[in-house]
Amino acid sequence: MAAVTDVGSGLPGVGESPAVQLESVTKRFGDFTAVDDISLSIEENRFFALLGPSGCGKTTTLRMIGGFEETTSGIIRLHGEDVTGRKPYRRMVNTVFQSYALFPHLTIFENVAFGLRRRDVAPAEIKQRVGEMLELVQLTGRESQKPRTLSGGQQQRVALARALINQPRVLLLDEPLGALDLKLRKEMQIELKRIQNEVGITFIHVTHDQEEAMTMADTIAVMHQGRIERMGTATEIYEDPRTGFVAGFLGASNLMHAEVVDAFAGEVALAQGVRLRVSPDRLPAGGKQVRLGVRPEKIRLASVDSPMEGNALEGRVVDASFIGVSTHYLIETGALAQLAVMAQNLEDRRFAPGDRVQAVWRPEHTFIVT
Amino acid sequence: MSAVAREAPPTARRATWRRKLVPYGLLLPGGVWLIVFYVVPMLRLVSVSLQSGIFPRYRFAWAWSNYAELVTNYGGQAVNSLVYAFLATAIALLIAYPLAYFIAFRGGRWKNFLLVMLLMPFLMPFLLRTLSWKIILADNGLVVDVLRAVHLLGEDGRLLATGVAVVAGIVYNFLAFMTLPIYVSLEKIDRSLVEAANDLYASPTVAFRKVTFPLSRPGVVAGTLLTFIPAVGDYVNAVLLGTPQQFMIGNVIQSRFLVVLDYPVAAALSFTLMIVTVLLIIPYVRAAGTEDLVA
Repeated sequence: MAAVTDVGSGLPGVGESPAVQLESVTKRFGDFTAVDDISLSIEENRFFALLGPSGCGKTTTLRMIGGFEETTSGIIRLHGEDVTGRKPYRRMVNTVFQSYALFPHLTIFENVAFGLRRRDVAPAEIKQRVGEMLELVQLTGRESQKPRTLSGGQQQRVALARALINQPRVLLLDEPLGALDLKLRKEMQIELKRIQNEVGITFIHVTHDQEEAMTMADTIAVMHQGRIERMGTATEIYEDPRTGFVAGFLGASNLMHAEVVDAFAGEVALAQGVRLRVSPDRLPAGGKQVRLGVRPEKIRLASVDSPMEGNALEGRVVDASFIGVSTHYLIETGALAQLAVMAQNLEDRRFAPGDRVQAVWRPEHTFIVT
Repeated sequence: MSAVAREAPPTARRATWRRKLVPYGLLLPGGVWLIVFYVVPMLRLVSVSLQSGIFPRYRFAWAWSNYAELVTNYGGQAVNSLVYAFLATAIALLIAYPLAYFIAFRGGRWKNFLLVMLLMPFLMPFLLRTLSWKIILADNGLVVDVLRAVHLLGEDGRLLATGVAVVAGIVYNFLAFMTLPIYVSLEKIDRSLVEAANDLYASPTVAFRKVTFPLSRPGVVAGTLLTFIPAVGDYVNAVLLGTPQQFMIGNVIQSRFLVVLDYPVAAALSFTLMIVTVLLIIPYVRAAGTEDLVA
């Protein structure tokens, strides 16, 4: 235990190593490969999200960092130190569990104090630190209550306090907001972000909720079938998803097949010969057949006769649904079956089913996926 | 709308009445059962215990002397009862806890099979089960041979007809009553609680001490009570596996009631046994935490 504690301050160069580093980490359960050769590096002080649908391997990855699952192969480093085979109780990471896993037989105070007691911290210090921690999560005065008397959101905050009080190098959060209702979830997202700023600890957050990941995390890794498909800031991933899976998982996308006509100018042609433009640097080197995509909210609709700049596809409105903040259109075009368009209700002109329209968007809003 | 609203109250009132009565209705069968087969016999027992006379003409006479018999004549059997029951409960707990723990946490897909195996002996009648221990512990049996060979028993030492045999019999007969409640309480412990304890720097041993065991305490309390209470009043094991020297208070009550037909003393002994058992249990349940029992 002492060796673990010394690392941060004592050894030279430790400050520069990433908080968490996975090197070719793989986890197999029998024939099933849950995590497939993942390598990633998470810098100090980051709010990092592992995002993906259920079964994509995100929780398994988190559990390997926490030490609850052994790796089949690969190396896990915390602040440069190899902890691959180390038991959870010997790692300076703490976890907020999906079901909170509060000890039902202990009071809130004892739940939060649990980690400190195990490390023989002096009672006076425990009392003080638990007090501070409960203040941080706004639960002062609940010390002597049992967990079951608290609401879901409060239990969630106790779980957070119980982990944070140990001042871990890295805090692991396994779908921590999954059990909360929508309103509370939104509040807790902001709360979590605030706490992360305040304590300055690396958070690794597992979630299947893209909005949650984008709200909180400064780096998001999108996982699919045991692999990381795309990693970057929310804006980077959203604007340039690069794979069909990411494009569909993070928001909605219109995808269409195209052929590269002029890679230097960024010109591509759809099946019917319609020419579109793309940022040339997004085109893969050498590829002839590509799939390009555009987000529904980047497309504007205009009547066929008005002259338009940028990429334009002609079509017919087949469905229009007004949902308050925006209007959703489905446009039948020749080039691809249907184009989803989300128009903010800024312009007076609304289109009705049957109208001939052109769908227009800027070339730089076009992305290429593999 | 308003017509409906005006009509509603009578129906609502009837519904509330019914809702209030339903719980009592559900209590009724059990309540009647308790009164007919428990409260009435109990009062009868107390009144018989204060009778005096010669069979079959006993009269109520405030005969407190019946109660004195326990101390004057049957002190030895009373002590046997408490000592054997206590030992048997402790040993059963030591065997049952690891057993239940293994089935609950490591049983995997064998869980149900293991539970059936645990209950299998109960398909055999109680008497036969106990009698078979006569064979196991017999003077020329394997167990005695082995114990003699390793000098845990003397040359002519024996197990049958000793307190050891009686305690062994009780442990065996009540093991499932100890194991099942513990199993149930362990089974329902959320595994992520143990992981959370590990995450918070508790080694597996500490996690067991601080989390798993405290959470299984309701099962331990239930199991020990289900073992201790019947064990104190047991007489079959002492008859079949012991000698009159190992007789317990149950043997005395049985012979007073059914052989000597001395109902008043038998009743006094029965009532005393009950009171003593309750007095022993109350502090135990208090110390172990009544909150856990109901939670």
